[in-house]
Amino acid sequence: MSEKIARLVEEVAGAWSSVTPPNQPAVLLASQMEATISGFTAERGRMRFEEEPSSFEAALQATKEGTA
Amino acid sequence: MNVATEITTLCDLTLTEAAEAVAKGDVTSVELTEAALAAFENREARINSVIWLDREAALETAAALDALQKSGAELGPLHGVPLAHKDMYYQAGKLSTCGSKIRADFRPDYSATVMDRLHAAGSLTLGGLNMAEFAQNPTGHNVHYGDCHNPWGYEYCTGGSSSGSGAAVGAHCVTAALGSDTGGSIRLPAAICGVTGIKPTQTRVSRYGVMPLSFSCDNVGPLARTARDCARIMSVIAGHDPMDPTSSAEPVPDYEAMLTGDIRGLKIGVPDSYFLDDASPEIGAAYDTALEVLKARGAEIVAVALPEMAAIATYGSVVSRCEGSTIHAQWMRERPEDYAVHLSGRMYAGYAIPATHYLEALARRGAILRTFAAEVFGACDLLATPTLRWRTPTLAETSMEVGGDSAVETFMNVSINTRPMNYLGLPTISIPCGFDDNGMPIGLQLSGRPFGEGKVLKAADAFQLDTDWHARKSPVALMM
Repeated sequence: MSEKIARLVEEVAGAWSSVTPPNQPAVLLASQMEATISGFTAERGRMRFEEEPSSFEAALQATKEGTA
Repeated sequence: MNVATEITTLCDLTLTEAAEAVAKGDVTSVELTEAALAAFENREARINSVIWLDREAALETAAALDALQKSGAELGPLHGVPLAHKDMYYQAGKLSTCGSKIRADFRPDYSATVMDRLHAAGSLTLGGLNMAEFAQNPTGHNVHYGDCHNPWGYEYCTGGSSSGSGAAVGAHCVTAALGSDTGGSIRLPAAICGVTGIKPTQTRVSRYGVMPLSFSCDNVGPLARTARDCARIMSVIAGHDPMDPTSSAEPVPDYEAMLTGDIRGLKIGVPDSYFLDDASPEIGAAYDTALEVLKARGAEIVAVALPEMAAIATYGSVVSRCEGSTIHAQWMRERPEDYAVHLSGRMYAGYAIPATHYLEALARRGAILRTFAAEVFGACDLLATPTLRWRTPTLAETSMEVGGDSAVETFMNVSINTRPMNYLGLPTISIPCGFDDNGMPIGLQLSGRPFGEGKVLKAADAFQLDTDWHARKSPVALMM
């Protein structure tokens, strides 16, 4: 699976951005994207259709010191 | 007092002590500047914290500041204090290498708002400090300007990316320095070099004229000896900047005036998961002892459950990587060999992360912050965590240039306890709270609600009233 991910990263980075693997640690780190993909898979279903765009800045204000 | 003793004494002043001594006429800015330059000259071989110094300009500015002090003019809160900063804060016409080969000769034609504010407050700038290339590693490695070395142990990491800032403050060459923090880059070198550093709330400090890494997660903040020193700098640099439309209009309190030492009734949250998982024993012990110190001052220690940590870890790892990869794309295509191995290696995968996933990470950020704030800060005022979960690694153990797979893993793990606060945008300070089995400093993180820097600084200051970890001198700081 890790090798498959590394090959996928190489194909996508090459096709979309013309960026090639610069060194061996890059390939290793690319193969570790498997954990990130698993992380996103675990979050599936929690990203809902949004009627209005959410705002991180609004959340900072809504949760700021003194709002408790 | 001989010259060496006098220089050492001046270098041991904290920022607030130095500013007050200048204001009273007990010491001149020229004397402080000469002492700082002498300290760099004598200690630099042990820490490699500097990329460039401008001695002549610094002494000229110091003399002008002394003349102003003698004239009876109203003085700023940093008047006459020499500082040096991570080499990514633009000053018109001056070098700003960003720790890179690519920008080795870069001289911007405009200045950062934070630099203008620091200078308007009376400080002077000695030069640019060593840093991770383009602010993108948590260890202090730099293949272009040489690795930064820890003032507590030459072979150990300084932490990064504000490596020179941590080392120069920890070696008592300067009283304070600006760093930047996208995933822990202020707090890690602060913790590992035995100093104090605060990452402000996202949008609290202007980023105009500051080398970008990740627009969503970059923060500007100080490293200094004490929370009080950090408070003084924060009062100078925080606040809306018309040149940075992302900066917050939230009013800036007088942070220093909030340092009363009274934390009675303050609820300190102890997390039930993540931050202490598999921690080194002495890290856990130092953390427990630190909690007892806060408790003895009247704080209440409460257990808190942390929501959404898996999402925070996943999303947080994607946002800064995608944004960093995006702004470096042209150089990654044209001159990848001019980047360090760890940097190009880290950015590379960013070109294969789907935009829909990057946007999911951003889209859910606000809702996750709301959940986290409601559940965590509904139960406590501040969350306390170790800055690093494991003892400080050596430079060799984390070198991707020469190390193997384990170096990659160790390298990535350094920032595991700091990155979540960047995704959440929370103000977080790191303060010294002990030493590990190798004699390297340990840091305690205190995080608060957005724009709660005052409360964070107040608790940190109260802790430092009852401990002396921040006042211990590193072996390099003892040199002269």
